[in-house]
Amino acid sequence: MTIVTGKAEARRKSQPGRSGALRNMWEHRADYAYVLPAIAVMLVVIAYPIYYTIELSFYKTPPGLQLRDKTFIGFDNYTTILTSEVFWKVTWNTLIWTFGSTFISFVLGFATALALHRDFVGRGILRAILIIPWVISAVAASYIWKWIYHSDFGIIGAVLVGLGLTDRPPNFIDNVSTVLPALIVVNIWREFPFAMIMMMAGLQTVPDQLLRAAKVDGANAWQRFWHVTFPHLRNVSVVTILLLAVANFNSFIIPWIMTAGGPSNASHIWITHIYELAFGRQRWGVASAYSVLLFLILMMLGYFYVRALSGNERKEGGA
Amino acid sequence: MTRIMLGSAVLRGTVVGVLAASLMSTSALGAPPVDLSKWSPEYVRSIAGTQEFDTAGDCGKVTPLDYKGRLTFWYQGVFEGDPDLLRQYYKDFFETFRKTYPNIQLEEQALTYNDLLDKFRTALLGNAAPMAVRLQILGGTEFASKGYLQPLKPEDVGYSTEDFWPGAMKAVTWDGVTYGIPTNNETMAFIWNADIFKRAGLDPDKAPATWDDVVKYSKQIHDKLGIAGYGLVARKNAGNTPYRFMPQLWAYGGGVFDEATANPTYKEVELDSPQSKAALQASYDMYVRDKSVPVSALTNQQADNQPLFVAGQLGMMISHPSDYNVMLDLQAKATGTDKEKAQTVIDNMRYGLIPTGPDGKRAVVFGGSNIHILKPEYVEGGKVDEPAAKAIICMWTSPEWSLKMAYAGSNPGNLNGFKTKWMKERLDHIKFLDVTTSMLPYGIPFPALPESPEIMNIIVPDMLQNALTGAMTVDQAADDAAKKVKDLMGGL
Repeated sequence: MTIVTGKAEARRKSQPGRSGALRNMWEHRADYAYVLPAIAVMLVVIAYPIYYTIELSFYKTPPGLQLRDKTFIGFDNYTTILTSEVFWKVTWNTLIWTFGSTFISFVLGFATALALHRDFVGRGILRAILIIPWVISAVAASYIWKWIYHSDFGIIGAVLVGLGLTDRPPNFIDNVSTVLPALIVVNIWREFPFAMIMMMAGLQTVPDQLLRAAKVDGANAWQRFWHVTFPHLRNVSVVTILLLAVANFNSFIIPWIMTAGGPSNASHIWITHIYELAFGRQRWGVASAYSVLLFLILMMLGYFYVRALSGNERKEGGA
Repeated sequence: MTRIMLGSAVLRGTVVGVLAASLMSTSALGAPPVDLSKWSPEYVRSIAGTQEFDTAGDCGKVTPLDYKGRLTFWYQGVFEGDPDLLRQYYKDFFETFRKTYPNIQLEEQALTYNDLLDKFRTALLGNAAPMAVRLQILGGTEFASKGYLQPLKPEDVGYSTEDFWPGAMKAVTWDGVTYGIPTNNETMAFIWNADIFKRAGLDPDKAPATWDDVVKYSKQIHDKLGIAGYGLVARKNAGNTPYRFMPQLWAYGGGVFDEATANPTYKEVELDSPQSKAALQASYDMYVRDKSVPVSALTNQQADNQPLFVAGQLGMMISHPSDYNVMLDLQAKATGTDKEKAQTVIDNMRYGLIPTGPDGKRAVVFGGSNIHILKPEYVEGGKVDEPAAKAIICMWTSPEWSLKMAYAGSNPGNLNGFKTKWMKERLDHIKFLDVTTSMLPYGIPFPALPESPEIMNIIVPDMLQNALTGAMTVDQAADDAAKKVKDLMGGL
C-alpha cells in the first residue's frame, strides 16, 4: 500500500509529467483545434520564411546564377557584412532614423495628447485634423513631401525665396547632410498622431480624484504631471515607444520612394539596403544575413514589448 | 514650329562610323527587308507606306485564330512620362488581340520600367512567373543566362531574324542561342528650347555640337536667365539615368567595358579610364561647379524634367520624340497664363542630334524591349501555353503592332514596320521623329551581360551620385565604380 502525503500530491499536480501534459492537451483538445488553423497559417507564412531566410544566409548566391545553384559558405556572409564599410554607414543611418523618429514622434505625440486632454472649443475637430497624417497612405505622403521638399520647385523653397529669407531654395533631399533629417521629419509627421492616440488613451486612465487630491495638497501643474500623471502612463509609454521603434526599424516606404536610399547612400537604412541587395543586386545570401540580424534586433524589441504588456496585465490584475 | 533641317551631317552620320557598322552589319545575317546601308531620314520616308500586311492572317498561320487556351503575360507598359497617345495604342492592342483570338483567355499585367525587373525576379524565385514577358532590352541576357527562358527566335512566330535590327538581336542572344524577339528599338535625341537659347545669347537654331558645349551652354543659360540649363538625371534604380549618362560617357571615349567598339569583348573595365573620368567631370562641372542643372537631379527622373521644360524652366534635355506629345498633353492640362507659357515652349521646342565628344564621337543608347517565353518549371502552375504565347508574340512583333506600340516614342522592332502605312502617317504626325530615327546608327546596346542591370541601374548612378554630392572626388568615384564592376564580374 502506498501512502501519498498531501504535500507530495500537490507537487505531482503542480509538475505534471509527460503523460500529464499529454492528458492536459487531450482534455483541452477543442482549444487546440480552434487555434490549429492559425498555427498552420503562421507556420507557412511566418515560420517557413524565417527558416528559409536563416538557411539562405549561409549560402553564396552569385547574381549570375539561379538561386538553386547556391553554395554553402558558413558564416562568410555575416563576416562580409560586419567588415563592410557600407554596413556601418547604413547601421548609423538606421540608428539615427529609428531613434530620431521614435523619440521625437513620441514627445510630440505626448505633448499633443496632453494639450488635447483639456476641454476646449474645437477639440474634436483639431483631434480629427491631427490624425490625418496617420491615415494618409505612406506612398501618397511620400510623393507629396517629395514635391514639398523639391530642391528646385518645392513649396518650402518657394516660400523661403518669396519671403526673401534665401536666394535659392534650400536643398533638403539632394544633399548628403540634410537628406536623412528631412526624411525623419516626414516620418515624424506621419507617426506622431499614433503616439498621440496611444497617449490620449493612456490619459483617460489617470484617476481624476488623485489629481484633485494632489491639487488640494498644493502640488503645482508640473508636480501633478510628474508625480501623478506620468507614473500612470509609464507602461503605455513603453508600449508606444517600442511599437514606434519596431515600425521605424522596418520602415521602407518613405525612404525608398523619396530617395531610393540616395544620394550617395546617405538615406539608406537597413531595410532599403536589404531590398536593394536582394531585388536590385540579387545577393540573396547577403541580404538574408542582413535580414537575420534585423530579425534578431526586432525580436529583442519584441521581447521588451511583450514584457511591457505583461507588466501592464500583472498590474491590472493586482499581482 | 520650325523644323530643324539636319543637313548633310545627318546623312554623313547615318552611313558611316564604327557604331553604325556594329549595329547594322548584315553580312552574317543575309538581306533585311529594308536596306540599312541607305538609312537616312529621306530613305525612311521613301519606304513608308509601301507595303500592306495582314497581321491576323500572318499570326493565324502560327497559332490558329480559333485556338483555345490561356495565357499569363507581363509587360513593361506605359508610365507617367508617356503621352496619352501611347496609352490608347496599348488599349487598342489588347482589344484587338482579344477579338483576333477570342478563345484565348489572356491575363495581362502592366508594370513600369523601374518595377518590372524586381517583380519578375521575385516571381521567378517562387516559380510564379508569367508564361510570357516583355522586358526592357537590359533584362533579356540576365534571365537567358540563368536558364529561365525558352529558346525563341523570330522564325518561331513566322518572321525571319533579318526582319529585326542586328544590334537588337544581340541583346536577346546568349551563348549563341536566341531567347527572345525585339518588340521595339529606340534611340533618343537632344531637345532644346530655342526661346531660352535666344534669351541666353545662344544661336536658337543650333544644338550644342559637343558635350563640352553642353556644359558651356548650360552655364550660360543659368547665369543669364537663372534657370536650369541641362536636364541632368542621376537618380538611382531608374532606367532614365543610364540612358542619359551613357551617351555622354561613350562620346568622351569611355565606357563600362569596350561596349562602344565594333566587336566588344567586355573583358576590360574602363570606367576608371581618363575618358570615362572626363565624362564624369563634365557632369560634375554642371552640377557642382556651375550649378547650372536642376539641384533635384539626384532624385529626378525624366518625368520630373518634363514639367520643368514645359514651364520654361529648363533649356536642354535628352529624350524621345514622344516628349513633344507629352508637352502637348501637359499644355492641354494647363490653365490660364500657364497654358500660354506652355504653348510658347512647344513652339520653341527643337530636336537635334546628341552632341559628340571631343573627338567627334557621337553615341546614344540603343534601347528597346524584347518579348520572351518562360520555361514551364518557373511558371505558376508549371505549364506554358506555347501556342497562346506565340500568338501574342506574333501580334506584338508584327510590322503593324511593333510600329503602333512604338508610335510616339520609339521605333518598330520589326523592320517591316517602317514600310507600313502607319509609319507614313506617323512621320506626318509625330514631330521630330526623323531626328531620333537618325540617331539609330549611333546606337550602342548596353553590354549583353547578365550583370548589366546592376551595372546600369546601380553602379553607374552610384558613381554619379558619389561625385556630384562630394562624397567622393571624380577620380575616386570612377575608381570605386570600376572596382565594383570588377568585383561583380569576379563573382563577388
